[in-house]
Amino acid sequence: MSTIDELRAAVVEGQAALAVERTQAALDEGIPADALLQDGLMAAMREVGSLFEEGEIFVPEMLVAAHAMRASLETLRPHLVKAEVHATGKVAIGTVEGDLHDIGKNLAAMMLEGAGFEIEDLGTDVYPERFVEAARDGADIVAMSALLTTTMTNMERVVHAISDAGLRDKVRILIGGAPITQAYCDEIGADGYAKTAASAVRVARGLLGLDASDGPAAVVS
Amino acid sequence: MSPLAAPGTASEMTSRQRVELALAHEEADRLPLDLGGSAVTGMHCSTVYKLRQALDLDPPGTPVKVTEPFQMLGEIKPDLMDVLGVDVVGVGRIANMFGFPNAGWKEWRAFDVPLLVPGEFPTQREPNGDLLMYPCADRSVPASARMPATGFYFDGIVRQEPIDESKLDPADNAADFSVISDADLAHIAAEIERVAPSRRAIIADFGGMGFGDIAFVPGLATRHPKGIRDLEQWYMSLVTRPQYVYEVFERQLEIALETLKRAHAAVGDAITVAFITGADFGTQEGPFISPKVYRQLFKPFHVRINDWVHTHTNWKTFIHSCGSIWRLLDDIVDAGFDCLNPVQASAVDMDPAALKERYGDRITFWGGGIDTQHTLPFGTPQEIRAMVRERIEILGVGGGFVFNPIHNVQASVPVENVLALYDAVNEFRRYTRGGKST
Repeated sequence: MSTIDELRAAVVEGQAALAVERTQAALDEGIPADALLQDGLMAAMREVGSLFEEGEIFVPEMLVAAHAMRASLETLRPHLVKAEVHATGKVAIGTVEGDLHDIGKNLAAMMLEGAGFEIEDLGTDVYPERFVEAARDGADIVAMSALLTTTMTNMERVVHAISDAGLRDKVRILIGGAPITQAYCDEIGADGYAKTAASAVRVARGLLGLDASDGPAAVVS
Repeated sequence: MSPLAAPGTASEMTSRQRVELALAHEEADRLPLDLGGSAVTGMHCSTVYKLRQALDLDPPGTPVKVTEPFQMLGEIKPDLMDVLGVDVVGVGRIANMFGFPNAGWKEWRAFDVPLLVPGEFPTQREPNGDLLMYPCADRSVPASARMPATGFYFDGIVRQEPIDESKLDPADNAADFSVISDADLAHIAAEIERVAPSRRAIIADFGGMGFGDIAFVPGLATRHPKGIRDLEQWYMSLVTRPQYVYEVFERQLEIALETLKRAHAAVGDAITVAFITGADFGTQEGPFISPKVYRQLFKPFHVRINDWVHTHTNWKTFIHSCGSIWRLLDDIVDAGFDCLNPVQASAVDMDPAALKERYGDRITFWGGGIDTQHTLPFGTPQEIRAMVRERIEILGVGGGFVFNPIHNVQASVPVENVLALYDAVNEFRRYTRGGKST
């Protein structure tokens, strides 16, 4: 098994320490950082996403894998910067105003990060102005989560606020959360609806005009 | 053909008998109805206010008591129960989920309605408009829960100390739980006596049996929470530290069994149902955890609790789990629970007809009466009526169904929709034929 294969397996199995160790070993072997990102971490998280969607693994296993991915990414990041590897896109993600639930939002953020996106985590109880600010600051995608029927309606306010700020053409809007449906997405004029944290990657890539899952995962300058 | 039809003859059955027949999987005179019997079958205080006003039960401006301050549930008073035909009433410990008593009521206005909250409830908002709740109302320690300025209830604040694997001690997480006190038992006995004349079925929450209930993991009433308190860490612990979790549950079980023993000695068979756990095992799309993790970590404790109750009492046991749990239900039913709530039919794989067919003879569906994610808050009264009728036709056949929406009725639900809900329940709840389920 190659070092990249070992890294990929370590992430899928959620072994953070091993993932970090294999990342360093691969770098020491001279494997380029972008190859480690694409063939190691991103491939691993694609597999994790598939396993989750197929019902083979569940939230705990997915969290453990995502944490291993993050640990590896910390080791890798300086090398990615040095090699000028660009992110797939920038996603500003948050749970909407009035809502403090963040397990789904965090999972989506981790899956997106594992797909090569740069994540700006806005946290929970995020007011429309904050999403607007993130859009103005260059986010390619504004992603919103809500668990509650009482707070999901705030998503529409964010869509309007982004339009009012004249930024609607500059940013794509992705929504998700337990009560959210495609019909609601259409109704409020958002661009994409992700049913699960795993599917957020597919939808986000689609919104940026990238192949849903298998195409070049990151743009190398 | 529907087994249920519009109301006709007057009922001679008591509410308790009605519920007990449903739990015995027999059709009563009419379908039993719960509202406010537990912390997962209630109604947000602002919605209670609007409903009471719409029903002309109070002069305008009459405050509603917040009887469960975590989710801000409003009191369902006997007059409202009578109007709606509610068959269930709840009793529980003196202290609420934050560890201070529901007593010394004071007026407070929130969500645009007048309320009464417990004396120790913090009504002073932070500069950003948030409300912070302190464990046992002790402001000398960090807050344990937050209600956002524009939110409708609280969520726990994670107070996670850095985790040192070598020093993790299951006693730390188990420290949240305590054997029920004599004072609590006396309080519950008095409550039972108070509600007895209504002859409603009583559901009791003796507390502390929600193994791994994520709402409680941060330690809402715990001043200095130790152990695993972060939600993601807790979920990850189910697969990375299973021994730790198992040992937390072992300690909790010991406390729970002693609580049950003492509670039974105090109240005997005055209650019908014991609320056991509200730990959510489902997400919108599937189970949170694998069937294997349920079997290894949760089921052994659920079996022990259910076995004790069924061996020593006539009580029925109640489990609440939101979300899509179809893949876990073989095991949950096998663990011996009698009542399943909230029956989230809006989640994946939770089709009411399939649930009724597969599990209807072994477990009572306590909920599932109306979709609360779309239809109740955003649908029309006609859509609500149609869904209530359909759900009653599917789930009500042969008993084994206590009507309740899916989880608590939330804030911001139009009052005409709430009225439509209970109008429909009362239109369709009457069984036209009696007799045991075949």
